[in-house]
Amino acid sequence: MNTPITDTDLHAWLDGELGAERRAEVEAWLHAQPEDAARVRLWAADRDVLRLQFEAMLTEPVPKRLRELVTGPGGRAAVAPWMRWAAAVALFALGGVVGAGVMWRSQSAPASASLAAAPSAGGGWVQRAAVAHAVYVPEVRHPVEVRAQEEHLSRWLTKRLDVPVKLFDLRAQGFELVGGRLLPDAAGPSAQLMYEAIASPEAASGAAAPKPTRVTVYLRKPDENTAAEFRYEQRGELGLFYWVEGTSEHGKACGYALVGALPRAQLLALAEAIYKQGGVVQ
Amino acid sequence: MPCETATVDAPAPFRQQLLLAIPRLRRYARSLVFDPSAADDLVQTALERALTHWHQFDQRRDILVWTISIAHNAHLDEHRRRARMPLVEPREGQPAAEDNLVANSPDIGLRLDLVAALRQLPVEQREPLLLVTLEQLSYAECAETLQIPIGTVMSRISRGRAALRALLDGHPVHAAPNLRRVV
Repeated sequence: MNTPITDTDLHAWLDGELGAERRAEVEAWLHAQPEDAARVRLWAADRDVLRLQFEAMLTEPVPKRLRELVTGPGGRAAVAPWMRWAAAVALFALGGVVGAGVMWRSQSAPASASLAAAPSAGGGWVQRAAVAHAVYVPEVRHPVEVRAQEEHLSRWLTKRLDVPVKLFDLRAQGFELVGGRLLPDAAGPSAQLMYEAIASPEAASGAAAPKPTRVTVYLRKPDENTAAEFRYEQRGELGLFYWVEGTSEHGKACGYALVGALPRAQLLALAEAIYKQGGVVQ
Repeated sequence: MPCETATVDAPAPFRQQLLLAIPRLRRYARSLVFDPSAADDLVQTALERALTHWHQFDQRRDILVWTISIAHNAHLDEHRRRARMPLVEPREGQPAAEDNLVANSPDIGLRLDLVAALRQLPVEQREPLLLVTLEQLSYAECAETLQIPIGTVMSRISRGRAALRALLDGHPVHAAPNLRRVV
């Protein structure tokens, strides 16, 4: 009844080029054909190694001669902060996980197994953000200390952290604030805001609703020397976006780490929303 | 048109966009020609052409795709020029390039193999494979960049990936079959 699955289909599937229907057919095929599945898995691994191989090029400083060719001598076209963000967005959006990536990635080690990974470029606090996520996200009864509905949440956290803690509205991205908690960090207090995927009506009426997806935002007063760049890290199934903002005239800089077991593109959309809302000073 | 006058003409927003495209353009060039300085020469040529022809850039398009297609053409030109004068290619085959590439990265063995295998792929297969897997262009963008039909993109990716895998499995590239065995 179906058109036979060819190698071209397998490649197109891996490259995220198939429509929903054909994609489902290929996935059914891969489940039934372990040999083909193994081949595709190898291609995916080659792809990942290839990306890793050349990833460093993206953060390497651009040679002066190339930069000045574009900006003119002296580099008068300095990159504005929003441009840096745009560059990061472009970078990560293009790195978005498509179909296949999710499948192979979900078979990798669970988040907890890789939390002890090498220290990240962002330093220990990013590690603490990941651990705090792993500890509180599975909590059924006490995921947060203060529920979202309690209006003193923002004031309380802002006061304790000595940085403006905003309750970001991520409903447009499909996530709702559950609440927040105060946590100890190396140098002082930090805060964790937890968001939960808004359940669709049909899922809510279902017999056994699956656990909702949760993401956390970890906030803290950054160390003196923390770099402000947007960064992304993948630890097992957890993706982390982190950055520092507000080092300008307002004085109150804040470090952010967004953590979640989501495809990078989706996590990026959330990071972007947080960035936009955090950037506006009240 | 003399390049310098045109360079002055390119408006600031365009330069900003171009500036942001450089890291990925450099990555693409490096994956295509391997040698770091030859790759940056290619990037330079592409940037010069982009600045000269900035008015041809359609703002609705992705500047990266546009500049990559310029780099692709520049690389082709270079290829043809060298084919006419195949005298010395001092950069070809120097192990130094790979040493540079893999510094500071784990799994050096695997990565060296991958680069060595990539080098052995014919450029017609290497380019679409890099554009789709590394640069993550869609098949349509890839076809547009290389100015080949989308069906050709698909068959080259299929062959390129199979050949790369065969090389990594220790088989010579010419034995790499691109067809599924028909039973």
